[in-house]
Amino acid sequence: MTAKRTRTLFIASFILPTLILYCIFTLYPILRALYISLFDWSGSSENMDYVGLGNFREMFADPIIYKAIGNDYFLVFWKVIGIMLLATFFAVALTRFKMRGAQFYRVVFFFPNVLSIVVIAVLWRFIYNPSFGLLNGILSFVLQRKVEIPWLGDSDYSIWALLPPAIWAGIGFFMILLIAAIKSIPLPLYESAEIDGATQWKQFVHITLPLIWEQVRVSVVLIVISSLNGSFAIVNVMTEGGPDNSTQVLGYYLYQMGFKQYHMGYASAIGVLILIVSLLTTVILQRLMKREVVEVS
Amino acid sequence: MKIKKSFLVGFASLLIMSTALAGCGGSKNNGATETGKPSETAASPDSDSGPNIAGDFEVQYCVGGYGDAWQKSIIAQFKEKYPDVNIKESAGPKINDQMKPRWIQGDPPDLVFIDCAGGLDVLQAIKDNQLMDLTEWFSTATNADGESIKASLIAQPQVYDGKIYSIPYVFGSWGTFYDQALFKQNNWEVPTDFESFLAVSEKIKASGISPYIHAGAYPGYLEGGLLFPAIVSNNGNDPSILQDMAAMKPDVFKSEAVMKALQQVVIMRDRGFIDKAAIALNHTDSQIQFVQHKAAFVPNGLWVENEMKNDTPAGFEFGMIPSITQQPGGKYVANPYSSPVAIAQKAKNPEAAKAFIQFMYTKKSAVEWAELTGAILNVKADLDGTKASSLSVSASKYYSSPDLVVLPAVSFNADLQKEIDNATLALTDNKITPEQWVDRVEKASVKASSKK
Repeated sequence: MTAKRTRTLFIASFILPTLILYCIFTLYPILRALYISLFDWSGSSENMDYVGLGNFREMFADPIIYKAIGNDYFLVFWKVIGIMLLATFFAVALTRFKMRGAQFYRVVFFFPNVLSIVVIAVLWRFIYNPSFGLLNGILSFVLQRKVEIPWLGDSDYSIWALLPPAIWAGIGFFMILLIAAIKSIPLPLYESAEIDGATQWKQFVHITLPLIWEQVRVSVVLIVISSLNGSFAIVNVMTEGGPDNSTQVLGYYLYQMGFKQYHMGYASAIGVLILIVSLLTTVILQRLMKREVVEVS
Repeated sequence: MKIKKSFLVGFASLLIMSTALAGCGGSKNNGATETGKPSETAASPDSDSGPNIAGDFEVQYCVGGYGDAWQKSIIAQFKEKYPDVNIKESAGPKINDQMKPRWIQGDPPDLVFIDCAGGLDVLQAIKDNQLMDLTEWFSTATNADGESIKASLIAQPQVYDGKIYSIPYVFGSWGTFYDQALFKQNNWEVPTDFESFLAVSEKIKASGISPYIHAGAYPGYLEGGLLFPAIVSNNGNDPSILQDMAAMKPDVFKSEAVMKALQQVVIMRDRGFIDKAAIALNHTDSQIQFVQHKAAFVPNGLWVENEMKNDTPAGFEFGMIPSITQQPGGKYVANPYSSPVAIAQKAKNPEAAKAFIQFMYTKKSAVEWAELTGAILNVKADLDGTKASSLSVSASKYYSSPDLVVLPAVSFNADLQKEIDNATLALTDNKITPEQWVDRVEKASVKASSKK
């Protein structure tokens, strides 16, 4: 009896602080946002008009919302492809091959992770600058004529222009994650495969990939979640959702509606939408990537 | 085993979220009654002639580009005149954010200088009944020297539904800027109307310089310096069209004046006078290109000379043309830019707030403002010999000329403004036609005006 009580107390002493913090900083804001989403509120006065599901109705009739969701998934899709391909490539290259200066490259590839996303975005703004940017400079040199493409200003290129910095910023972390996974694969597996005459590609497909699948899966989920919630910073610094909403994403649209156009209720409704979209995407992704885990004894 | 576990974790998190969502249904009502509670009635702001200026008086101002030296000085002088007033200054670079909760709770300061990022949106604040109606008081108010405030202003206050809630105190002006030295050196004529602008732009283009650059990232520069004056020029110099646009009157964006102005932009675009790179530039980038002579004209505001002080090469002489879109012989159109001051609807000491406004709109304080900030206070005053920037001083002379139409202060509904920005940028980038511009903006206007 007392032993059981002590145990319960012991467990509670560990769980309670976290639970309290979770309620205050996660649950309460979610509930509050849901509550605000039922009102027409400017965010700067005490007047709140109850509109029920009006904000949600308006949201589903708003073409910019669909554009933003499309852009979010565009970024998610290409970020997953870009980051996973490059991170896996570098991870394999830096572990499975005897490369000189592998340590140095690891640091180089990881470097963008040390920088804040804002710094990266500002840096890339300079690279994209139509008049004196590095990219147009290189193109002008290669093509031997003056190139002045407004990468971030033209709605035809702007969303594509957000991809390189976003991918560049993400590679390092996932590369390190995969390197750790590859290093934990027992070497004899590769040795016997080599004796059997398996090529490097076959070794990668049949040994490396299955054994790091769990990490790949986690990485993809992490990229998806971080992209759905984290495109805000890069959009805010580089394009502010423009030109003409061509780089609008849900996170930035929420900010714009709430803090620039004074529709806090509508912004909260967008917040609820982001929550639902993120949750659904994660659950679907988890199911899609389900696969038997190979246990190495 | 492992797979099941991960799926379970995912499912559990969904469950937690859905209970969270279900839970808030219950909390809805409590919250509604709490926030819906009628607020205590504000002190009656009537009776403005009471000479007894005393008690607590709170002023909110941000410390931004103009610093706080002027406010500090005026407040000290005010205190000297009314020693019974106990002044509280709520000030700082982030004061707008810091005071927001108090505005939300209905406990605002008495007087607010609306400036800096995050400052009160005047239209929204009026809608929310947060600003005091100053119409009647303002019509007869005199400053501390006994002169009519209304008559002494350069730019008149914006009128909302026939009422005045805020008074502009900073006077800046949009316009088209150029380097007088560069023009002299190349024998280029300074344009006086749209035709001469197009003619000189042709010459500038032939010399290898971009005629016109703007800050595409902030289309407000192009609108303030080019599009809005163009609309007024094409409306027979009648600025009431801008007020109609701001008031979102039906079909105002479909008017001929708007279409003609848009076509002027299209002419500039199609002749290649607008720098192709401009669309991706912010204000700093475009101004740097301008002072480095990569472009000859830039739409901007009077503050540009001070702002670019450290980056302007020697020999550069800022010049300003109020507008470039008028017909030959037509009047110049000056589009002012201002930051207003207002009294809170729930001010606890409105008498002191009014007295303070009377105190700050004098010639003496206008000179002090010019000396302390380099900019112009919205009061007609002789600034010769003061430390205001030479560009500001010369421009301020423009504003008393009869050949100039000074537009009233106008601010747009935030949603409508956003659509005007987006459509204008798309127009300069050849993505849409003037007809599509009109269509989009009119739609946004109808939508915004239908929301109360």
